[in-house]
Amino acid sequence: MYQESKKRERTPGSWCGRGMVTVEARFSKGAKARSNGTGSEFPRMPAMISLAQPQQRQFNPYSENGGTILAVAGADFSVIAGDTRQSEGYSIQTRYAPKVFRLTDKAVLAVNGFAADGNMFVKKVRQRLEWYRHAHAKDMPLRAIARLIQTMLYARRFFPFYVYNILGGIEDDGTGAVYSFDPVGSYEREACRAAGAAQSLVQPFLDNQIYFKNQTPAPGTSHPVHLPLSTVLSLVIDSFTSATERHIEVGDGLEMYVVLAKGSTALQSIVSVRGIQEMTTTEDGERVFVIRRELKKD
Amino acid sequence: MASADGVFSPSGKLVQIEHALAAVSQGTTSLGIKASNGIVIATEKKTSSILIDDSMLDKVAVICPNIGIVYSGMGPDFRVLIAKARKSAQAYWKIYGEYPPTRVLTQEIATVMQQATQSGGVRPYGVSLLVAGWDINRGPTLYQVDPSGSFWAWKASAIGKNMINAKTFLEKRYSDDISLEDAIHTALLTLKEGFEGQMTEKTIEIGVITVPSIAELEEGKIGGETGRPKPTFRKLTEEEVKDYLAL
Amino acid sequence: MSIMEYNGGSVIAMVGKDCVAIASDLRLGNQALGISSNFQKIFPVTDRIYLGLPGLATDVTTLRERFRFRVNMYTIKEEREIEPETFAHLVSSTLYEHRFGPYFIEPVMAGLSKTPTGGVKPFIAATDLIGCLNFAKDFVVAGTASSKLYGVAEGLWEPDLEPEDLFETISQTLLNAVDRDAFSGWGCIVHVITKDKVVTRTLKGRMD
Repeated sequence: MYQESKKRERTPGSWCGRGMVTVEARFSKGAKARSNGTGSEFPRMPAMISLAQPQQRQFNPYSENGGTILAVAGADFSVIAGDTRQSEGYSIQTRYAPKVFRLTDKAVLAVNGFAADGNMFVKKVRQRLEWYRHAHAKDMPLRAIARLIQTMLYARRFFPFYVYNILGGIEDDGTGAVYSFDPVGSYEREACRAAGAAQSLVQPFLDNQIYFKNQTPAPGTSHPVHLPLSTVLSLVIDSFTSATERHIEVGDGLEMYVVLAKGSTALQSIVSVRGIQEMTTTEDGERVFVIRRELKKD
Repeated sequence: MASADGVFSPSGKLVQIEHALAAVSQGTTSLGIKASNGIVIATEKKTSSILIDDSMLDKVAVICPNIGIVYSGMGPDFRVLIAKARKSAQAYWKIYGEYPPTRVLTQEIATVMQQATQSGGVRPYGVSLLVAGWDINRGPTLYQVDPSGSFWAWKASAIGKNMINAKTFLEKRYSDDISLEDAIHTALLTLKEGFEGQMTEKTIEIGVITVPSIAELEEGKIGGETGRPKPTFRKLTEEEVKDYLAL
Repeated sequence: MSIMEYNGGSVIAMVGKDCVAIASDLRLGNQALGISSNFQKIFPVTDRIYLGLPGLATDVTTLRERFRFRVNMYTIKEEREIEPETFAHLVSSTLYEHRFGPYFIEPVMAGLSKTPTGGVKPFIAATDLIGCLNFAKDFVVAGTASSKLYGVAEGLWEPDLEPEDLFETISQTLLNAVDRDAFSGWGCIVHVITKDKVVTRTLKGRMD
């Protein structure tokens, strides 16, 4: 993270090209002095030499911590997923660093890129959502959170949070929604989005399997606009196992958050899912679940 | 200057090649027999003195795992040729990841021998060769190469001092459905005709091609962990030769 | 900018049950500018071997001629057709000859090899631009859309696909991958090689 860059390369051992010459010159003088009977075993200390070359040091405040996130919107649900590996270069820092966070009972945010910025950004969003709750005695609507995120990102237009955000959840009208952002706040509502290290691997697969791109429906039929939750979950798992297989920065663990609209019929299809855990905090509203799966660790 | 290198005589002959063939026919007899499931090549090994350690003498040479050669004629010329042949086989392996088919290698050697009949400052090689090999394309094949650079495929052939008699003998003995074991015995019997001195495991050399089974082929041409193909040509050890002689 | 992105283009090959498929896009570009939508980069080597050459277009043409020459010489000299495994080694050694001044091509090949029992065995391979061979059992990809191809292929491919299903799988993989790649696309071509025939189809896809 902390890097130094110098304008001029120096060979190791010679502290300073010009200085060295001076030292040698002094050495010969010193040798002469010694022959004059000073008795000193070493030459006289040379006078202070200025480092004539200008030096530039630079702090790089960013790094890239790998991993991939992905979100898919259904008719009345939303799935937001991310792997849990955090790496820097070829080193794995931890096998469990969550990238997906429950904001409210109807909003889940996935952050990917520079982990420190991601964590700080989520903290700040959560703070703003709490202020909103205090002021309005309700949770902020999803589309409002999306706009808030844009504002917060753009506020840092010239020192951005180095983070790709994907926001998933349920809109006020009860539909599943996914919002995706770039680091400076451009955003868009979509049905599905992948971001991060394996975006290029996952996104075309999603285009094909969720948007049915390049697929022609059989005569007299049409492609479904929204997929059932069970289908979405298996596509998400397949996406991450594929990305894990081919990308070194993806793996270790998978966290899939499922947000269900009030009274969603998708509930029955996930209650029996292995290891599912409910994260809902309020009654009679949207419900949030998390499903965890292992990914390959190599 | 009537017999200058690479110059035709008025009768259309290259005398140097004639002389080279003469050198071959002074060499010890070698022969090869193609069997239904393999090939045997064998030769008589003669030493000019009992003091020579004949275990060092190699007249049957392995070129690559699927090809072996025996010669009659001048030993040093043969040595040069096997060095070239081995190099050629390895060069082929470097390009194609497999060893050359028998025909391709034979052609390569024949080209080397032909060039010696046409280049300035050199003489033809004083050897005839019997090249035995196996490849997926043609199966087991036996070739003879002469100093002129011409080569033929044989079912059975003999070269060297006793070649006329040996060939006549082979013509009588040969059949298409002969087994490798029978071919080895026929080879020994043929050598015995006109053999000078005692025929022992020290005075003959044998090399065999064994045709791999379908199962062995299915295993793949890259054999085991060494990445080397399973050899189809091998020289018989003195013990093995001794056993064949005892029968 | 990567030299692969100068002209763009991608190739993929997949193994099926007693069949193989190889497919490519048809774009020829000059960086961001599209030049041609009918630039072939897959060539037949024998009746049963196809070779894909994604990369720098000038080297596509040169290498194609080079391999044509070397395979013709092989066929005449050996009096037989070259086998896919042997051809893969030939490709590898040809590229490695130029280890320190390489052709900017990442070849992909697909073919059926003869088994000792007289059957056929699917074969695919790919190399990097200096000839490092990759014999994969499932699929190989190369070109500017390679990471996308990997992602989709990893999700769609399954073992022992019949020729028609293999065609569908490779086509969908290629179409969806090149649609997310600015340097590949502008039409696609697919070859499915089976024991008795090669089926070649040009695909209708996005042309943007």
